[in-house]
Amino acid sequence: MGKTVAYVLLIAYAVISFGPFVWALLVSVTPMTYEKDGQHVGVDIMQWPPKINPFSWPPKVFDAPATLSNYKKVFEVVPYARWILNTMIYAGLTTIGHVLFDSMGGYAFARLKFPGRNIIFTLFLATMMVPAYVTIIPIYNLMVRYNLVNTYAGLFLPKLTGVVTLFMMRQFFLNLPTEVEEAAIIDGAGVLRRFFQVALPMAKPALAALAIYTFLGTWNDFLWPLLMTSDKSMFTLTMGLNFFRTSYYTFWQLMMAATLLMTLPMIIVFLSFQRYFVESGVTTGLKG
Amino acid sequence: MFKKRKIREAIAGYFLASPIIVTILVFTIIPIFQAAYYSFTNYDALFQQKYRVRFNAQEALENYFFVSPDENPSKEELLSLFDPVDFIELAVGVDLNAEQKKLVKREFDVEKLIEDFLNRKLDKTFVFSDFMKDYMKKEASVFAKYVPDFIGLANFSKAFKDRMFWISLKNAAVFSLVVTPVQTLLAIVLAVAANQRIRGVKFFKVSFFLPSITSAAAISMIFMLIYSKPGLLNRLLGYLGVGPIDWLGNVKTALPSIMAMNIWTTAGYFMVTFLAGLQDIPTSIIEASMIDGANAWVRFWKITIPMLRNQIIFVVTMGIIGTLQVFDQIYFLIKNQENITISMYIYQNAFNYGKMGYASAIAMILFLIIFSVTLVQRRVMREERF
Repeated sequence: MGKTVAYVLLIAYAVISFGPFVWALLVSVTPMTYEKDGQHVGVDIMQWPPKINPFSWPPKVFDAPATLSNYKKVFEVVPYARWILNTMIYAGLTTIGHVLFDSMGGYAFARLKFPGRNIIFTLFLATMMVPAYVTIIPIYNLMVRYNLVNTYAGLFLPKLTGVVTLFMMRQFFLNLPTEVEEAAIIDGAGVLRRFFQVALPMAKPALAALAIYTFLGTWNDFLWPLLMTSDKSMFTLTMGLNFFRTSYYTFWQLMMAATLLMTLPMIIVFLSFQRYFVESGVTTGLKG
Repeated sequence: MFKKRKIREAIAGYFLASPIIVTILVFTIIPIFQAAYYSFTNYDALFQQKYRVRFNAQEALENYFFVSPDENPSKEELLSLFDPVDFIELAVGVDLNAEQKKLVKREFDVEKLIEDFLNRKLDKTFVFSDFMKDYMKKEASVFAKYVPDFIGLANFSKAFKDRMFWISLKNAAVFSLVVTPVQTLLAIVLAVAANQRIRGVKFFKVSFFLPSITSAAAISMIFMLIYSKPGLLNRLLGYLGVGPIDWLGNVKTALPSIMAMNIWTTAGYFMVTFLAGLQDIPTSIIEASMIDGANAWVRFWKITIPMLRNQIIFVVTMGIIGTLQVFDQIYFLIKNQENITISMYIYQNAFNYGKMGYASAIAMILFLIIFSVTLVQRRVMREERF
């Protein structure tokens, strides 16, 4: 493939990849109505081509001056701040659970001999093939029985650990040279001290990848919040998006503002930790 | 001494592994067996709640006897009028099966209830199962927990005759069989393009990756706007003279629209996997083939594709398993029941219609399909070793 063809292809796909986000951004900064000749006029966000004039101030999109007011309005018309908090609690507690318990389990399954270890691990691996739709019904019933619907516990408890991430941590500890730990054994350190003070600090890069992967997955999760939350005050951000669409009218500007608001933190996380995604490949390493 | 250390290691092992063992047991392994059990029963969410019905017993009895609170009927009169089965079914609203009716007729303590009623002890909210515990002489435990009926393979034979089951399965299969090869091929082409020692590879990687870190819910919203009738896509197609199409409203275009969106979401993500694989191909092989006079097309099929074999197997398997279970996008964007996929049908049965037994049976079928896909992948992977 010639270099020119490669460039054309890559740039074209970059446009396709970015395009929808740019479009969402344009819509999100367009006011619902604007003042024209002393009258409030509705804005046609569907008009094509959009009359973008970046040289005026504020820049004009779709004829109307750009505004950030939709972003403010999102917080006023729905409990958006509360949804952010809920999502952070859900994703945060899930991530803490994974980082702590998966690494503990990963170390135990990799390094320590205890009766039944291999049977348990094989059983765990087998569960990876079972689709979520098999288990959600009994888990949902369990949550209903213990009155955990519409609680944080109901959201994060079933997600507290994961077999895929356990497997990843076990793999990491298997590949870790044992020399350092052996030195600690000679010094008389017990198993727990060996884990918490020697092995765990060395696992920092793996733990960072695990944390990002888990946080991202939970932040974007929809199915479980859909089942566990019916009360508006317990919604996560993905659940809340439906709120801007009624059977009569869709508030596109607000919906796009809310959509981009919930995506932005993930983009920041992604850009700050991209070496874990793009170079080491968070998930490719996981499923190996 | 040696043995003591071994025991200590085992204790530490159990200690460290216990949180994950307990959570996986409670939230994965036990539910798998429960779901397998549900799939052979008529488990119904509407009945599941029936023993948890709350009612005020005093008011229920007043309604049953048609007496007002200030009347003072005699005990004998009430006893002659009272039938516990009628009372439970009509006044409390809990349906009983034939065996339970027999049991209630035999063991219900009518006298105690009527006395308490006359002494006005019942003016509070009862949960049905607790109420039965108080007023059944024995075997109240029958009403403590909902036990669905075992119906053998009826759910499975029902599924095979169910038109919606086949439609949703077919939709998921088509979705998977279109999206997986297209996204894989697109990802390979993009990776090959990015592997031409060009500038800004990092920029392209990052921008291609962006859709895959965005939640399916958010992407669905953005594409709902783009696919809407006066939306961006129709405006662009207008230049080509293609009339406005209601992409998501039309039964024929709804699923292909979501497939295209899905390819857009994941192609860039898998491209990164392939790029890593390409960078492992020794340049000597490519140079040798160039000396032999192989053109780019031949090199692509004879060298690149075989060298990426492992990554392709991985991406295809992940793709099939992922797309067979597509849900969020379907939930947000599909309007017509004809276009739903199997995961959506499981969801609807379990949580909209309450047919949890039937939904579990369909989930088990989906599990078997995914299990076979995994087995095929294992076989292909193993062959490759020789």
